[in-house]
This record gives sequence, C-alpha cells and structure tokens, in this order.
Amino acid sequence: MIEVSNLTKDYGTVVAVREISFSVGKGEIVGFLGPNGAGKSTTLRVLAGFLGATSGHVRIAGHDIAEAPRAARRALGYMPESAPLYPEMRVSEYLLFRARLKEVPSAKQKAAIGSAMDRAGVAHMAGTVIGHLSKGYRQRVALADALVSDPPLLILDEPTAGLDPNQIREVRALIKGLGGDRTVLLSTHILSEVEATCERAIVIDRGRLVAEGTIEELRARQNTKALSLRVRDPNAGAEAAIERISGLSVRQLSPDTADLARRTLQVTLGVGLDPEAAIEALVRALTEAGIGIHALIPEQASLEQVFSELTAHEKAEAGAPAPGGER
Amino acid sequence: MNGFLAIYRRELLSLWVTPLAWVLLTVFLLLQGVIFYSIITHFASMAEVSVDTGPVQAYFGQESIFLLMTLLLVCPALSMRVFAEERRSGTIEALLTAPVTATSVVLGKYAALLTTYALIWLPTLLYVVILRKTGVVDWGVVGSSYLGLLGIGAAYLSLGTLMSAMTRSQLVALLLTIFLEFGLFILGVGEYIFDPGLFRDVCAHVSMMGQMEDFSKGILDLRRVVFDGTVTALGLFVTTRVVDSWRWG
Repeated sequence: MIEVSNLTKDYGTVVAVREISFSVGKGEIVGFLGPNGAGKSTTLRVLAGFLGATSGHVRIAGHDIAEAPRAARRALGYMPESAPLYPEMRVSEYLLFRARLKEVPSAKQKAAIGSAMDRAGVAHMAGTVIGHLSKGYRQRVALADALVSDPPLLILDEPTAGLDPNQIREVRALIKGLGGDRTVLLSTHILSEVEATCERAIVIDRGRLVAEGTIEELRARQNTKALSLRVRDPNAGAEAAIERISGLSVRQLSPDTADLARRTLQVTLGVGLDPEAAIEALVRALTEAGIGIHALIPEQASLEQVFSELTAHEKAEAGAPAPGGER
Repeated sequence: MNGFLAIYRRELLSLWVTPLAWVLLTVFLLLQGVIFYSIITHFASMAEVSVDTGPVQAYFGQESIFLLMTLLLVCPALSMRVFAEERRSGTIEALLTAPVTATSVVLGKYAALLTTYALIWLPTLLYVVILRKTGVVDWGVVGSSYLGLLGIGAAYLSLGTLMSAMTRSQLVALLLTIFLEFGLFILGVGEYIFDPGLFRDVCAHVSMMGQMEDFSKGILDLRRVVFDGTVTALGLFVTTRVVDSWRWG
C-alpha cells in the first residue's frame, strides 16, 4: 500500500528526513517510531501529500504522489498531529463537510458519517460544537474524519497523544479492530503503543531509518542480556563465584537482609558474550560453590531498551548532535 | 467541482455562524445609513435639482468617496481570516490532504467571501425602495451602480485573499490588505492632483471613484470591467500558486 524509496525532505538547510526507504503491505498495522524531532511527522506529511518530497518517490496504493496526487489522497485517511478542527462547526457538520470533500457519493454520506462516528465513539456528540469538546473527543472526531471515506489506508500521526489511559485503550482497540484488509501506519514515540497495536515497526532517528522489522525481530536485536537469579547462598559467596567468569557482572536486587537463603541477584552479560555458553558456565560455577539455584529467569529485552540502544548508537555514530528538531 | 462546493458551503457557514459577518454587516449598515441620511437631507434642502443628479447618483457616484472608505474597512476585515486562520490553527493540513486541487480551495473560499459581500450590500436596496416612494428611480442606474460595487468588491476581496495566504496572522493580513487597497485608492485620487499626461491617465483608469462615477451615470465602461476582472484574476491566480507552494515550505 505504501512504497517509499530514497525519500529526502529538507527545509532549506535543515534536512528533516534523509534517504528513507520502506514499504507497508496491504492489511498491515505498522508503527512508525522515533524520538521527538526524528522526522516522523515530516515523513507522514509527505506520505499524506501535505508536503512535497525534496527527492525520492512515494507510491500510495499504486499511485505516485507527485504524478497522481489526488488519486493517492483519495486512497488514504490522514489524521494530522494534534487533530486540528474548525471550532465553530458541529461534529456532524464537520464530518459532512469532510465526506463531501473526500467525494463520498451523496447517497452514502449519511451512512458513512454515522458509521465513522460510531467507530470513533463520538455518535452521542454529533450535535456538539467542536470548540466545546475536550481534547480527547476532538482527537476522536479527527479519527472519525480519517475513517469517513472508508479508505483502504489510514495514516495516523500520534493518534493517542493527549488522551487519558482509558481513551488510549479505546483508541488502540479501535485501531486493532480496523484490521482486516485495511492498512494502518501510525506514528508514536511511545513504545508500548507499538507493542500493543502493531505487528511491525519502523524506527527512525534524526531523519534516518535505523531499524525495521516485526516486534520480535526488533527485540532480538538487543545485544546485552540480563538474568535474574534467585539463590540459597549460605556462605554469601555467589558474587565472587559469578564474577570469576569473565564478562559477567552481578548486583544484588533484594534488599540487603541477612536472609541468605533467599537472595535475588541480577547478572548482566557483557557485550559480545555468547549467552548460552555464559549461562552454562554460570550454573556450573554456582553449583561447584555449593550454592542452590531456585530460579533463573532470562530478562526479556523490552522494546524500550532496544529503542534507546538503537538511537543511542546512532548518536555515537553521528559524533555531534545534528541540527534541526521538530518541524 | 465537488471540492469547490463543499468548501464554499463550509466557508459561508463559518462566516455567518461566527460574529465576524454580523459585526461587519452592522458596522457597514450603520455607516451607509449615516451617508445616505446626510445625502437625502442635503437634497431635501435644495430648491432645484438638475436632471443629471439625484440622491441615487450622489450616493453611488459623486459622493462615492464615503462609500469606498467603508469598503476599505469592510473588505480587508472580511478576507483577513480566510487562509491565515487555517494556517494558524493547522486545519489547512486536513484541508490540503483531502483530494482537492488548490484551485478549488481558493475559488471555493473566494466565492464565499464574494457572496457574503453581496449579502452585506443587499439591505441597501431598501434605500432605493424608500426613494421610489417619493420620486422616480432609474433602475438602470441602480443596476449599473451595484455592478460597479461588485467589481470593486471582487478586486478588493481577491487582493485580501492573497494577503491572507501570505501570513499566519489575521492582523498582519488585515494591515497588508488595507495598505494595498488604500494605495490603489490613493492612486485613483491622483487623477485630481497630477498635470495632464500619461500618469494622470493611468490614475484615472484605476480610480475606484472614477469607476463609481461612471457606473452611477449608467455608463458601463468595458475598460473598468476589464481592470476589475484583471485584478481579481491575478490575485486569485497568485493565491493558487501560493497555496501550491506551501508543499515546498
């Protein structure tokens, strides 16, 4: 549904997005992830046809956005960041305007507006003036706007920003529920959002694509792994035994009590270490030292860690902080 | 075409559900009422009236400076928010990502402004009705006078739309438009200041007062119509280009 090749967008001297290529297939829900100022909004604005690309090509539903902009825009529902709406209009008036603008046939407009309002959960607000709505409801009206023409592709720029936890849960459920053959590309800087709603993520930082893959693939990119260990340690010799193995470091997690029968330790594996060999060596060393192992739990790398590692790595590579920020 | 109609209807709704159009209507009618009243009392006190002048001709023609001064206030205020507000609030992003062309956006918005302008003038037809009660009214002159006003309004609103597209601030748009239109107006005054020559001819051609004087006598000068049409078309064309250029900002 979306094919992006070598997309670059600059604002005069500031390069907001450089040489990004990715594609999103039909029916996928993809998270577009990056810290603030990474170029997420700029990229989505280019995809939605609001900004022109400096170089590179974008195809939306098979239409090149430079050559057939209206056909491309007809295929997508776009929700801009911070959901700008006309405050003087009523919700139903606004959606009727948007339906007309998006060329929904007049016979179907009423049904389209009704179903969009139902899905976004604003049906009971149809007669309310938008200026009187709370931030959460405005966000949902913008979502209803994106849905009103029933497009095969949705591009949502931070759809849950500014919502309370209940509303966030509802919006996520809604996005997941859209599913089927509808394609969704949503941007966020909240990782749990990607974990909760998306099958795949595209990570960008400083205008560059740093990683792409399913959530599992991204997790597997985690280099350092950690274990948490519960031991019976009568002689308090666990630390010494573990640190004798090269590449392992240890710290005590349980509060410093005299209860040597139930100690919880965290073992961190050094970079470049083969985790399987290290765990074997660890268990052998502990057994030989007469320490009883109650539990050994490999810590799952959270996407959070992967993310900070990916973006930190990039910073070290760039040397100095690049100019430019959120545009 | 779909986009044009949708935008036209939304823009009209926006103009008339917010106080702006009503405030302008009130101020406008108040000023016109004062102007009309003083012209009527002036004519009422005259012993003899020549064939060529009357309250209608005076209102639309010889005394058109007053009427044009109110337009210099009303037109820029009417057009100031048309693009500036969309860009300040960010709604332009939703608008331009819909499958519409820049041309339908600009024309839809402009047509709504021109309709509102015409609606604001509508109540002044009552003046003519009042005059008819006491004397004879030449409907041809009334018609050509309103045509002249429509031409001037079309040109002013087109320039105002362009200025509104130049900035995110309504106030800046308002000031720019007033400067531009006042400049155009002053250029017309040059007809009475400069010595005969090319420059004075140019001033006479672009004079809004001259236009109203001609039209209020029932003289439909094609050059005037062409001038108004050119300013309007140029303003709208440049606005379309400006809207297109935002993609490259």
